Amino acid sequence: MTPDAVGLTAKEAERVRQLCGREPNDLEWGLFGALWSEHCSYKSSKRVLAWLPKEGPQVVAGPGGNAGVVRLDDRMEIAFKVESHNHPSYVEPVQGAATGVGGIIRDIVAMGARPIALMDSLRFGLESNGQRLRDGVVAGIGGYGNAIGVPTVGGEVYYGPGYAKNPLVNVLCVGVRQSKDAIIGASGARAGQMVYLLGQATGRDGIHGASLLASRDFSAADQDMRPTVQVGDPYTGKLLMEATLAAIETGGVAAVQDLGAAGLVSASSELAVQSQVGLELHLDQVPCRESAMSGYEMMMSETQERMLLVLNSEHGGEALAAISQWGLNATPIGRVTASGRYVLYFGEHEVANLEASWLVDGCPLTPAGKDLVAPAFKPMRPSPAYMDEGFEEGFDEGALMAIASDPDCRERRPIFQRYDSMIQTATVWGPDHEVSVLTVDGSPWGLALAVSGIGRWAAVDPYAGGAAAVSVVVSRLATQGAQALGLTDGLNAGNPDKPEVKQAFEQMVLGIRDAARALDVPVTGGNVSFHNETDGAAIWPTPVIGGVGRHFHPTAPVADSLNRSDVTLLLINPALSPSLGGSVWERQHGVLTAYPRVRLSDLAHTVTWLRTAAADVDSDIRAVRVVADGGLWLALVKMWLASAPSVGMTVTLEAVHAVQRLLSEEAGQFLAAVATSRVESTLLKLQSNAIGCLVVGQGHDGDHLELQVGCPSQWTRRWSRSQMRAAWQSWEGDSGGSGTP
Amino acid sequence: MKPKVAVIRFPGSNCDRDTVQAFQSLGAETKIVAYDREDLEDATHVVLPGGFSYGDYLRAGALAAHAPIMHALVDAVGRGAIEVLGICNGFQILCERGILPGALFANVSGQFRCSWEWVEVLTPPARWPGFRRGMRFRLPIAHADGAYRIGNSDREALWAQGSVFLRYVDPDGPDTGEYNPNGSLEAIAGISDGPVMGLMPHPERAMQPWLGSKDGRLFLSLWLQEVPQ
Repeated sequence: MTPDAVGLTAKEAERVRQLCGREPNDLEWGLFGALWSEHCSYKSSKRVLAWLPKEGPQVVAGPGGNAGVVRLDDRMEIAFKVESHNHPSYVEPVQGAATGVGGIIRDIVAMGARPIALMDSLRFGLESNGQRLRDGVVAGIGGYGNAIGVPTVGGEVYYGPGYAKNPLVNVLCVGVRQSKDAIIGASGARAGQMVYLLGQATGRDGIHGASLLASRDFSAADQDMRPTVQVGDPYTGKLLMEATLAAIETGGVAAVQDLGAAGLVSASSELAVQSQVGLELHLDQVPCRESAMSGYEMMMSETQERMLLVLNSEHGGEALAAISQWGLNATPIGRVTASGRYVLYFGEHEVANLEASWLVDGCPLTPAGKDLVAPAFKPMRPSPAYMDEGFEEGFDEGALMAIASDPDCRERRPIFQRYDSMIQTATVWGPDHEVSVLTVDGSPWGLALAVSGIGRWAAVDPYAGGAAAVSVVVSRLATQGAQALGLTDGLNAGNPDKPEVKQAFEQMVLGIRDAARALDVPVTGGNVSFHNETDGAAIWPTPVIGGVGRHFHPTAPVADSLNRSDVTLLLINPALSPSLGGSVWERQHGVLTAYPRVRLSDLAHTVTWLRTAAADVDSDIRAVRVVADGGLWLALVKMWLASAPSVGMTVTLEAVHAVQRLLSEEAGQFLAAVATSRVESTLLKLQSNAIGCLVVGQGHDGDHLELQVGCPSQWTRRWSRSQMRAAWQSWEGDSGGSGTP
Repeated sequence: MKPKVAVIRFPGSNCDRDTVQAFQSLGAETKIVAYDREDLEDATHVVLPGGFSYGDYLRAGALAAHAPIMHALVDAVGRGAIEVLGICNGFQILCERGILPGALFANVSGQFRCSWEWVEVLTPPARWPGFRRGMRFRLPIAHADGAYRIGNSDREALWAQGSVFLRYVDPDGPDTGEYNPNGSLEAIAGISDGPVMGLMPHPERAMQPWLGSKDGRLFLSLWLQEVPQ
C-alpha cells in the first residue's frame, strides 16, 4: 500500500510518518487516508468555519458533535443539522439520496433526540439527465423518510447549469430531546466500559466512499464508482433508531456515535477523541455479512444502519435488553482504555496501534485567508439583461408569466406530494408553505423551520449569496413571529485546491458570518461538501442555510395568504435602489451580475419589529411573505394564488424602475397585507421605527390580479386566477397532475 | 362496556404512536401490543396502524399478515369478540391475511402520494350504525400502494354484501364519481366486513383543526361507537 493509493499527498504522508515515528502498516495507512480525506478532516474548511459565530444563551451544543442542540424551553431541546450526500446521489441517485436521509437521522439520534422533521435542499441541471437524477433523488428521499416515519415538512429545489453533473442533495433533520436527559453524544465514554456495534452486519459496501468518492472531483470515467455507494434499508433504520433511543432512555448508554462516512474507523476514533480515552477494538468480533472480510475492509466499510455504543456498568444490561426488544443485537467489539492509544486486534494479533487524535486532529489544515473584511461590492448596473427604463417600451406580460412558470419559481407540489409530510401529527404548516410550523409535544411553544440557499445569488458574489441565504431564513422565521434559535450551514463548492474556489468559499462563509452576527443567530453545526466539480466544471458556490425558530403560537401560524380582500399591500424594507443582480430574470436572459448586498442593519431592525408585530395575536398584519426568487412579483402571485377565490389584488407601481422594483430579489424585503382600516397606524409604527415601506397595492373583491404601472396608469394588465395558476403549475412531463416540477 | 383499544405494533409500524395518541385523546383506554404476542388480552377493539411493517418487503403487509398476533386476531374475529380497524398498512395486512376481501395495488401514478382528501360513506356498515350514507370526512392519505382491486367474481359480492364503505370524492368538482387519487377500483377508500373495517386514509392524523382537519375525531368515535366529543 502506498500513501497515494489511499488519497494522501506526499506532504501528508510525511506528517503521518512523523506522528507515528515509524512506517505505518497498510491498515494504518488506510485509516489515515480515510480520516484525512477532505470529507472527514475538513482540512480545507476548518479554519474558515472558525469564523462563524456559535454562541448564545440558548445553545446547548455547538459545532463539532453529531448535531447542534439549542434550548426550546425549560424542558425541551432541539437537535438539528444539515448534511450533504451530493457525490453518491450523482453516481446512484435513489440510494445516494436515501442513505443521505438515513445518515442525518442517525446523527440526530446519536444526540439522544427523536427525529421529528426532515427538509431537503436539492439542485439539478435542467436537461433530461437532470430530470432523471431528480426523479431518482426524490424517490430515494421519499423511500427512506416515508418508511422510517419522519415527516418531510419542507425544502427547496433549484436548477442551474453547474448542477447538471454535480447535483446537490442536502438534507436537514430536526429532533427533540428532554433537557433532563444527560447530553448524549460521543463524549461520555470512560475507561473500563465496553464498546458495542449495533445494527446491520458489516459488508463490503461503501468502502472508500468518503476518501475517494466524496473527496475528489468527478470525471466521465467515474460511473465506475457506483460500488462505493451504500445501500439504504429504512426498515433496519427504523429499528435502529427506536433501539438506540430506547437504550439511551435506560441510562445505560455512556456514549453514542453513528457510523457514516469512513465507517468504523471514523466513528470509533471520533468517540475516543471526544471522550479523551483510548480504545481497544477486536476486529474478529465485528459481525460481518460477507465471509473472509479483512480488517481493512471492516474499518472502511460504509454499510448503513449501524451505531457504535459504549455502555456503562450500572445500566448497560438494561440498555441491551431494550435493544433486543426491537429485534436487534448489540455485539461487544472492544473496550475503553485509559491509555489514550487506539489499538486494533485481529485475533491475537495487534494490527494497528496509533493515537486516535492523530487520525482525527492530525491532518495538516489549509490556512484560511487573513482578510476578514467583506470584499468590495462590484455592481454592474443597469443589469445588461434589462436596459430599458420603462415598462411601456420593452416589456410584455409574457415576461412576467415566464417568471411565474420558471423552474426556479413554479409550484413544487408534485415533488413534495411524494413525501409523507404529516406523520407524527405535528405538522401545522408543511411543504406548501415557505416556512414550516410544527407543534412540539411537551411544550406550549413550537418550531418554525426554514431552509434556503440560492446558488444563483452566490454565483458572482459569494459574499452576497452567503449573507442572503442567512437573511432569507431568518426573515422567514420572523414572518411567524418566531425567535431564531440557531442556524445550520450546508456549504457546497468545487475543488478547494483551486485558488478561485477557495476564495469564493471563504467569501461565502464571511457573508454567512456577517449576516448571522447582524441578526444575532449562532451557527451550531453543519457540513462542507467540496469537489462538486466534474470535468473541471464546478457548481455555483451554494450556501444551504437551515434555521430553527421558537414559535410562540404554533397552532395559529401567521397567514401567508388572505381570506378577506379589505387589505392594503405593503412592501416593507424595500430595496433602496432595486437591482436585478442574480435574479431569475437575469438567468432567463443568459447573464448573471452580482447579487445586491443585503442591508443587514436595516434587516435586523425590520426583523425585530416584525417578530413583535407578527407574534401579536391582534396583529394588523393579515398575511406576510418574504421577497426572494422572482422578486416582489412572485411573492404577490403566490400570496394571491393561495388566497380565497373571492380575493383579488390590484398592484400599483411607479413607472421609474418598475421592472427592477417588481423583479429584484434583494433579500430583506417583505410583502405584507395589512387591514386597510389599520394601515395608517401600521405606517406610523413603521415610520417611528425608521423602517422603510412602500404601498404597492390593494385587495379587491373579484377573481383577478391587476398590475398598474405609472400614475396615471401607463401600462395595465390583468390575469385571471386560472390563467396564473396554469403558469405557476406548469410542470414539464406533466401527466394528470403526477408530473414533477 | 368501556372500549379497550389495542394498537398492534409490527416491526416497521410507524403510525403506532400517533394512533395511540389519537385514541387516548378520545378518552379510550389504549395500549400497544407487540406483534409477537399470542393473545389480545382483554382488548375489545384492535387497530392495525399504518407504516411499513417488515419494510413492506415482498409486498406491503404480506409478512405482517402472518405474525403471531394475527392468529389471535383471526381467532377473536371468528368468535365475534373484537372489532378491528386497519389503517393504511393495517388495511393492507387485513387484505393480505384474507380477513378483508381484495388487495391493495401500487398507485397508478407509480408514486407515493401524501395529500388531503375527502371521503364519503357509500354503504354504512351494519356493525357501525353511526356512519350514515353520504357523510363526508376530510382525511389525509400517505401511501404508495393504495389502489384497491378485487377479482371479478368477488366484485359483485362486495357490493351485494354492502362492504363498499368509503370512496374518495372531489368536494369542489361535480359528483361524477371520477375523482380518484390513487387509481382505486370505483375510487374505493375503505371497506368493511362484519366486525372488520379497513381504509387507506389516516383518521388519526386528522384530530386537530390546526393539522388540517378534526374529522378523524368523529370517524374514530363512530368506530368506537362512543358519543363523539
